[in-house]
Amino acid sequence: MLKKRLIFTLLYNQGQFMLSRNFRLQKVGNLDWLQTHYNFSQISFSIDELIVLDVSRGERNAEAFCTALKTLAEGCFVPVAAGGGVRTLEQARVLLRSGADKVVVNTPVYDSRAFIGELASEFGQQCVVAAMDVKRMPDGSYSTWVESGSRCLEGTATAWIEQVAQSAVGELYLNSIDRDGTGQGYDMQVLDLLPTDMPKPVILAGGVGNAAHLAEGLADRRVDAVATAHLFNFVGDGLKQARLSLIKGGVDLPIWDIQLLEQHLRPVDTRQPGQ
Amino acid sequence: MMNSGITVIDYGMGNMWSVLSALRYLGCNPTVSGQPDVVANADALLLPGVGSFRKAMLTLKQSGLDQAILEAVQVKQRKILGICLGMQLMGSRGSEDGETEGLGLIANPVDLFTPEETGTNKIPHIGFDLVRGQSDARLFQGLPEAADFYFVHSYRMLPAGLAGKAALCNYGIEFLAAYEQENIFATQFHPEKSQTNGLMLLKNFLAQ
Repeated sequence: MLKKRLIFTLLYNQGQFMLSRNFRLQKVGNLDWLQTHYNFSQISFSIDELIVLDVSRGERNAEAFCTALKTLAEGCFVPVAAGGGVRTLEQARVLLRSGADKVVVNTPVYDSRAFIGELASEFGQQCVVAAMDVKRMPDGSYSTWVESGSRCLEGTATAWIEQVAQSAVGELYLNSIDRDGTGQGYDMQVLDLLPTDMPKPVILAGGVGNAAHLAEGLADRRVDAVATAHLFNFVGDGLKQARLSLIKGGVDLPIWDIQLLEQHLRPVDTRQPGQ
Repeated sequence: MMNSGITVIDYGMGNMWSVLSALRYLGCNPTVSGQPDVVANADALLLPGVGSFRKAMLTLKQSGLDQAILEAVQVKQRKILGICLGMQLMGSRGSEDGETEGLGLIANPVDLFTPEETGTNKIPHIGFDLVRGQSDARLFQGLPEAADFYFVHSYRMLPAGLAGKAALCNYGIEFLAAYEQENIFATQFHPEKSQTNGLMLLKNFLAQ
């Protein structure tokens, strides 16, 4: 039986990592900040997957983003997904050459199915993650938003999810714009938008504030993975503690012994000259 | 360390980035090469790969890398670790995109998971799954009898009649998760994506 997954999502904007609240971005810090406050080389041993998204609202600097991606992926021995503004095969290839195993796409999933098909035939369907941003409307229905949550698509979210389920993507990253960055917990009702026999794994995102929220998401049989992008809720060893509490609570996450690092796998200090 | 001589075979199939990153983390200074003479004379080989069996095998043949690998492994008795598609290429044949002969370092063929085998489980098999290693398997020394490793594959090798079954995984059917026989090692999963479990396995391979 496949294990469930705990995913950490990092939002990148022109050299800075960001906090997003209802898709409004706030600067938190650069790579050094991340290293200081998260000891990222250790945190990466408390997650099952890393997602790094370039959410820059202005001009994207692909080269700088890939440099950051490489730095993050270097000490991260889990699958890495990356995305943000990918519109060409070449852009996807550059991410895959910078440490990513999968490419996250949003707007083209809904606007350009031909491009999604090209991505899948070039790199394999398992390599493509469809991101879907949904918002609850006053009447209780859900709408789907693209271009960093700035444009609303016509049609119901249910119909769009059905289309994603049938398209050439490997999994669905389902994010609630209303809950994004609020720490109030996932909007579990977005799961009711899924078709009953959803053929692809679902990553639930948007709203996590604590380990209990992660547990609530993972307890739902429709959820294969839960993600958090909140840089403050799990600062320090928060993610490590959250993971331990989930495993203790019986959630079927992958298990590895982090002490093997100290006992057997101590990394070589690369600043020393080689042998 | 004795493992500085590992050569990662570059034949243009997929992402070597994380394999190299894991080897470096363990203190190796891997060589990356697609040249047959370098591969044939390597101290140790790592055959990674993601993609189509047929395309990969044709690439190995056209470049002469298939013979170079066989010379290193069978004549010079150098150790090799095949990962994912790399393991599958070491099989007798593959049926992805039409029947194609493999390197023949492992006796069994590689075929697509059938719905009869996997039942309600989705294909491809993607994610961390439990692997049961033989207690005397060299690759699994220092790891618990059952440990989680990361898989991404639709094709599998079955263990029937095979010597060297180092580990099995159950995905509706028991398939070969890892193989080891003398100097030949292979994993269907990605040790370089499997946290400390995978790093430990790679370290065990390097120590052979």
